[in-house]
Amino acid sequence: MFKLLMAHMHGRARWCFFLAPAVMLVEVFSDLQQPTLMSDIIDHGLAKGDLNFVIRTSLLMLMFALIGVAAGSAAGILGNYASLHMGQKLRSHMLTVALNSRAAGGLTPATLITRITNDVTQMQNLVMMVTRGMVRAPMLMLGGMVMAVIVSPRLAPILLIIMPLLAVFILVVMKHSIPLYTHMQQQVDGMNRVMRENLQGAKTIKAYTLEDHQLTQFNQANADLLDSSIRASLATVPLSPIIQLALNLGVVVALAYGGQLDVNGVILDGQIIAFVNYMIQITNAMVMTVNIITAFSRAITSAARVQAVLAEATGEVPVGTAGNAPSGSAITFDHVTFGYQQSRPILDDITFTVPAGQWLGIIGTTGSGKSSVINLLTRAFDDYQGVIEVGGVDIQHLDLAALHHKVTVATQEAMLFSGTIASNLRFGAPEADQAQLTAGATVAAATSFIDPLPAQYEAPVEQSGKNFSGGQRQRLNIARAAVPDADILVLDDATSAVDQTTNAAIQAQLTKTRRQRTTVIISQRVTNIMHCDEILVLEEGRITAAGSHDALIKQSPFYAQLVQTQLGGGRYDD
Amino acid sequence: MMINRRGPRRLHQEKVQLTNWRQTTRRILGYLGFAKGRLLVVFGLTVFTTAATIIGNRVNGVVIDQFLTRAKLPLLFIICGLLAGMYALSSVFTYFQNAVIIKVAQQASARIRHDIFANLQRLPMRYFDTHDNGDVMSRLTNDVDNINTAMMQTFVQLFTGIISVIGMGAAMLILSPLLTLIALLSSGVTYLVTRAVAKVTQQAFVTQQQALGELNSQIEENVSGKQVVQLFDHQAATLAKFDATNETYTNAAFRAQAFSSILGPINNATNNVAYLLITFVGAWSILAGRGGITVGVIFTFLIYLRNFTGPINNILDLVNTLQLSLASAERIFEVIDAPREQDRADAVAVTTTQGNVTFDHVDFAYDTRPILHDINLTAKAGQMVALVGETGAGKTTIMNLLTNLYPLKHGRVLLDGQDVAAIRRADLRRLITVVQQEPFMFSLSIKENIRLGRATASDAEVVEAAQNAHADGFIRQLPAGYDTVLTENAHNLSQGQRQLLSIARAFIAKAPVLVLDEATASIDSNTEADVQHAMTALMQDKTSFVIAHRLSTIQHADQILVIDGGRVIERGTHEQLLAQNGAYTQLYNSQFDQA
Repeated sequence: MFKLLMAHMHGRARWCFFLAPAVMLVEVFSDLQQPTLMSDIIDHGLAKGDLNFVIRTSLLMLMFALIGVAAGSAAGILGNYASLHMGQKLRSHMLTVALNSRAAGGLTPATLITRITNDVTQMQNLVMMVTRGMVRAPMLMLGGMVMAVIVSPRLAPILLIIMPLLAVFILVVMKHSIPLYTHMQQQVDGMNRVMRENLQGAKTIKAYTLEDHQLTQFNQANADLLDSSIRASLATVPLSPIIQLALNLGVVVALAYGGQLDVNGVILDGQIIAFVNYMIQITNAMVMTVNIITAFSRAITSAARVQAVLAEATGEVPVGTAGNAPSGSAITFDHVTFGYQQSRPILDDITFTVPAGQWLGIIGTTGSGKSSVINLLTRAFDDYQGVIEVGGVDIQHLDLAALHHKVTVATQEAMLFSGTIASNLRFGAPEADQAQLTAGATVAAATSFIDPLPAQYEAPVEQSGKNFSGGQRQRLNIARAAVPDADILVLDDATSAVDQTTNAAIQAQLTKTRRQRTTVIISQRVTNIMHCDEILVLEEGRITAAGSHDALIKQSPFYAQLVQTQLGGGRYDD
Repeated sequence: MMINRRGPRRLHQEKVQLTNWRQTTRRILGYLGFAKGRLLVVFGLTVFTTAATIIGNRVNGVVIDQFLTRAKLPLLFIICGLLAGMYALSSVFTYFQNAVIIKVAQQASARIRHDIFANLQRLPMRYFDTHDNGDVMSRLTNDVDNINTAMMQTFVQLFTGIISVIGMGAAMLILSPLLTLIALLSSGVTYLVTRAVAKVTQQAFVTQQQALGELNSQIEENVSGKQVVQLFDHQAATLAKFDATNETYTNAAFRAQAFSSILGPINNATNNVAYLLITFVGAWSILAGRGGITVGVIFTFLIYLRNFTGPINNILDLVNTLQLSLASAERIFEVIDAPREQDRADAVAVTTTQGNVTFDHVDFAYDTRPILHDINLTAKAGQMVALVGETGAGKTTIMNLLTNLYPLKHGRVLLDGQDVAAIRRADLRRLITVVQQEPFMFSLSIKENIRLGRATASDAEVVEAAQNAHADGFIRQLPAGYDTVLTENAHNLSQGQRQLLSIARAFIAKAPVLVLDEATASIDSNTEADVQHAMTALMQDKTSFVIAHRLSTIQHADQILVIDGGRVIERGTHEQLLAQNGAYTQLYNSQFDQA
């Protein structure tokens, strides 16, 4: 964990990180002077009636108080600087890794987001703690003990008995309570899940009158949570009264024992008072330590979660060796096999060629591997067998950036970004002028809803594009892929939320503007791919038929059946 | 002696607008009513522990003074023994006090959560349309947490705090009015410094919060849209924008937090200076020979001071916490008080229906925005009615009215001649099964998910329904078969598989009226033919309403209604509509022309 922190603190931040505890020592030192000075006032000033001594010592105390506040503030500021700049670096690093790593590494976007936001905050808090509490608490504790022993060695045995006992007790309580808190957190998650599902599935619940069923589920989760949180909280309840008791008993013993010594003239009143004050400081430091340990254990979990994200950085994107991108735009898959399990590959021995400027359609059921073809073409994964070429060059030798300028994809999920319509359309072509934007929007039949907007292309897009309907988002998604006017355009099931009329309009526009662009269309719908020069039928990762629409109707029973169900006849009459 | 366990003072909260805090407080207290007796006992214990602290410390002071006067020793041991006993008792009381309060607060929180959920359950559909899920979730979680914290702190800190402050204040005043004045001054200074710092950092905190919101939404958006960022080679631009926001945030946060991080040391220093002043003034008085102040008095006073300023600071903090929690309480009561979807007083129980459905001049509006205009429709028992039209035309909305999810603006919807608004909702919805466009699966087993259609269905019936829906095949291939537990949002199934499960759910419900809202949209083409078969079987002898984009699936409907802009613009059979050569023909051609 220390390595992780160091890796994200450089220059000034690192200086601050190490300087803060050092400055903190000054504050601790000043704090520790106060009780001794006070005891001096009582034992030397008061006892001897020396007013000058009282004034001098008081001024000394004031000086230490001021040094204390200066050092404490400085340590706080230094710690803040280190922690915030560490957080800044770490966030930026994590987002860079997240955006560049190709495989998701099994992390869902939701988890990734939590890790970049909440867990980084936890790490920031950790730095604050390390720079302040981690030094302050143990030092106060240790320094307090040393000072107590120096001031009144006779009373020291009291400390030596009480403090270890207390420390053991605290450790036992913490060891017992941490698993209980973990268990409670699981119950919290469980209750949240029931709640979330209830909100998301509100319509289903109403449709099937599941209100009572859901309430039972919730009551169970709620009762579990109540039970586990009471148990977890109760486990730590003894801490504070026991620490109080230890302190109070310590004081009583100090008075009784010290009082006896005092009477015998061995010890002075001021020493007893100072001793009691040190005991208070020490127990306070113990409570602080407990809080720090709790926070620390939370930070360790966060650090592990952060590190898991950063580990994605290994296996980074290779740099291309082919130099320039190829000028051609033909696509070739040569005996490509891909999949995690050898026995059940996702794609099995796929071979096809799309000559430059031609249209390829891919049709198949969900899970047949259609999208995997595109994932491999855009190098989302590299661990396939066989060769994939674009313009006659093996894509393994191409820069990812060069490849992505060559091939633009309208993805299945129409993800938009906050900004404006124009900023979204310029995603793949930052320099695109208005004419290019309009051309892209035209291909996607999106002008019909962009033009009536008051700000047109400058109309704001909210987070994830939620101020547009599903169909509108998909059209902007297609427009975004069309704006760069790349040599190869891929539509990956990109019109599923678009109604039939608009869909037909998009198809018509694509045909009108096809020129020399190589186009790949993936769909479950026959109407979307039937005009392609060549259509591949994918079933369970294999190409089971290939050819034109007319040829496939005769050759492929699967395709013929699709045509039958989707286009004609219907099946209700048999 | 009390140990002060105080977190950093909360400096800035969102400006809280409390509309009716008196009533809100009363209602929150109402949730504690069940524990009245226990809380009263806790109050008594608190009085005792505070008194013990006051007495104990005074006795300590007296003991110290006796050393100076060389008093008799035997008494010392007796006094110390008594003190030890009192402290032990006091610690035991503190333990019970905290344990009871934690338990009571948790129980009250659980009750509040229950009330939120129970009401949320019965809210009308409109509520879910107009409220963000995240916002409602945060009321159940964060806001309840806030109240829980407030309840625990209020009792522990406000009660003990007030008693301490009064007790210690009185004890201090009796001991020495002069020293008390100094103590009060130091508390005042601390308070003023805090206020001043808060004022200076206010703007920086606002900037920090704004930048943080912006930062988080950028992270969220770009991580979710990672695939697109990569495909368009947009990482550099994205990160540049992010780094700028990140920088703004860090700078604002540093300005805000650096200032407030000096608060702790300043508090510490004012305390130290107060001790110093008290020691100095005390010593001066003793030397000057003024009566009343002894070393023991100074000793006692210093400890009283600790127990005086600590609670005062806590109570000042508590004002913020209480404000925040009252705001939370109001947000919670908004959900608890939201009007439920209630059956009309004259609503009747209906157990069976023939399935005759009539829409009679139905108008519908969301608030003031009109959606449906003059919808008329008659479906005789056993008929199949299809609704076609573009996305957003109002097809789904019409069907929502059939199950009385929303109130009509005008007109009536009748089931067997009975106004659906006058039928108990639970009955109505049992008679009409809706297979939604985006069916929802719960994180239960597949078997339980199907059984949600009818709670009394046997395992054999579940399997039969799955077979009818052509879901049996893929279910059996899953590792645990019908007992496979779905992950949240059923991410372990494809969308098509979720659709099949929802059709199985409809099979098991055996309702006489069926609504299929684009039910086959996501089923892959391969199985679609089979599912259409199954649906034909499902619709057998039932009145059915089918919403479809693909016209091939509804050509044999008894009636087809073409919906556009919330109106029925054409109606008839497939052949009749084609003969009209209107909107339906156009829609039909757009799908088949290209063939």
